Amino acid sequence: MDTFIQLTVDALTLGSVYALIALGYTLVYGVLKLLNFAHGDVFMVGSFIGFGTLQLLGGSSHPVVPTWLLLILVTLAGMAGCAVLGVVIERFAYRPLRDAPRIAPLISALGVSFFLVNSMQLLFGATPRTYDTFSLSNGALYYRGIDIGNVRVPLLRIITIVSAFVLMVVLWFLVNRTRTGKAMRATSFDREAAAMMGIDIDRVIVFTFVLGSALAGAAGVLFAMRVPTQVTIGFIAGLKGFTAAVIGGIGSIPGAMAGGLLLGFAESYTQGYISTKWSDLFVFSLLIAFMIFRPQGLLGRADIRKV
Amino acid sequence: MRKGVALLLTLTATAFVAATAQAGHRAAAAQTASISCKSTMKIAFVTPLTGGAGFLGQEQSSWAKYAVKTLAPKLGLKIQLVLGDTPVEQGPAPAQALAQKYVADKSVVGILGPSTSGAVAASSQTYFAAGLAHISPSATRTSLTKGSPLEATAAFLRVVPGDYIQGPSDANFMISQLKVKKVVILDFQEPYSVGLADAVETTLKAKGVTTIRLSAPNTTTDYSSFVTKVPNDADIVFFPTQKPPDAQTFAQQLLEQGKKAKVFGGDGSNDSSAFKAAGSYVSNFAPDITGIKADAGIIAGWKKDNPGKPVGSFGPPSYGAVQVLLSAIKLACNADQGVLKARHDVLRHVKQVVIKNWILGGTFKFSTKSNDPLNAKFYIFQIQSDGSYKLVG
Repeated sequence: MDTFIQLTVDALTLGSVYALIALGYTLVYGVLKLLNFAHGDVFMVGSFIGFGTLQLLGGSSHPVVPTWLLLILVTLAGMAGCAVLGVVIERFAYRPLRDAPRIAPLISALGVSFFLVNSMQLLFGATPRTYDTFSLSNGALYYRGIDIGNVRVPLLRIITIVSAFVLMVVLWFLVNRTRTGKAMRATSFDREAAAMMGIDIDRVIVFTFVLGSALAGAAGVLFAMRVPTQVTIGFIAGLKGFTAAVIGGIGSIPGAMAGGLLLGFAESYTQGYISTKWSDLFVFSLLIAFMIFRPQGLLGRADIRKV
Repeated sequence: MRKGVALLLTLTATAFVAATAQAGHRAAAAQTASISCKSTMKIAFVTPLTGGAGFLGQEQSSWAKYAVKTLAPKLGLKIQLVLGDTPVEQGPAPAQALAQKYVADKSVVGILGPSTSGAVAASSQTYFAAGLAHISPSATRTSLTKGSPLEATAAFLRVVPGDYIQGPSDANFMISQLKVKKVVILDFQEPYSVGLADAVETTLKAKGVTTIRLSAPNTTTDYSSFVTKVPNDADIVFFPTQKPPDAQTFAQQLLEQGKKAKVFGGDGSNDSSAFKAAGSYVSNFAPDITGIKADAGIIAGWKKDNPGKPVGSFGPPSYGAVQVLLSAIKLACNADQGVLKARHDVLRHVKQVVIKNWILGGTFKFSTKSNDPLNAKFYIFQIQSDGSYKLVG
């Protein structure tokens, strides 16, 4: 039972991060029908922005603000930095190709991905960077927490899971309870009709990128609070986020959340109960299985085409 | 249209063949071109200067630079050290590319490194074909010099012992000093860690210790699920990573989940700035040379050139490797009467090198049975509460 509880905590932690990344993919796809393959690298940049902010605020050994405030500021910095990056990417890499064949922005997205990785490598080198949250909190983020049975759920895990869920709730509220969210949903349903109804499509698309990239930035910071970050982490994280979005139903926000959590559970339980060697194999086999048997994903809509 | 495409393909193929032939000619010419021992000769150091193992290359290159600066004039040689970067995350490709580059450069008369076993395996054939001796200060994989098939060639030598010594040495320490009953062994699905993990597991099992084997992809950054599989009564987790921050992460996640097991890292995790979890263990092929009186002058000189940096344990073997290579060049120059007729002349003389007052202690010479040092050993350190490494075995 202890193993099950521990693996579930691991799954929720991992799944929350995947869900945040998947949301970015699904938001952009929903509005633009574009698979933004640079999204995983935006996640990576977010983790580095968080690291840089942490150093500016005194680092893990001499922080100039209390730990709780430091973590909030680092997360906000990651989100803000990535939001700006998202706007820049949209403006220069995707907007000029909006009316081009669908493969063109896809190729552009791949180019942006390589550009980001190599730029970061030139700027920061390939050495892993650690937030060293252990030293930052004198171990409190690891030793303190809540006990479920014999399993201690450390504070850092709780922060990761709760922060991710709060962000998902905020996103749901923005998309479903605000005028801008309504405009986003209208644009995703039918872009031309939305434009004819007076919706500023450019503004909606920019806002979508702001939201998606900010979530990726948050995911990057939450991830790097627990493990070292380096310029290569974006590839696998992006791939898994994309897998989560597809499994959940690309274009569906609740689907992306569900897909991310499902992926986290699949990975964690496979490592725990089957074999540590097989987790990636299982996860990507799940992707293939969904594509064959349920291509619309868990919560996506099956496309109806007039014949 | 079709004729145009055919013509383009033909021209491309012709250009490719011509370029390949030219490169081969240049390599062959470089191999056989003689060089005056009074001219500036180059030695190239192939090491990871960036990436997760960049700490290794940075430390090693600082000692190599110091060695060239101080030893070359004493031997009457003019040597220029050039550095080649092989980040471990990029696999064998950088090592292969650098090998081609240095083979084509006729002023390169010897190679230091490659530092990592994977890079050696990827490039040894190229160096061997060019007659270039390549002496590594840190590539420890057993199959580079022992077993079948050998992953390196006769042109590869190393100044540190192989994992066939590290594995049993680490395991025997765990048994005799730590009195372990249950050990978890992790590998990262790449040759260095798999080889070392296999060697440790074999020795532990032979002595009746319960072992649990886990395997993580080399891209793993979050080890939570692996930590969950560590039994509460496990004594040690053998963690042969080449990325010290990962060893630190694993140790922290063990604490996070309330496990009592301590992390035992191989030489790849030896970095006191990144892996500092108190109570953990690290093995390495070099002792702390600050305890060797004969090295006091070398250490003082190196510190003057590298203010504020710790001495470390990866750097001194690099100094030693430079010393061996320069000594071999000197022997070859003497034998060839001041003109190095061919690169393989250096290779022919390398195993004749004997160094008294070796920087790692004692006298250095190569084994007659392999290209490994004679009577070398591994050292075990325990990480203290202040992050320092204390020699315990």
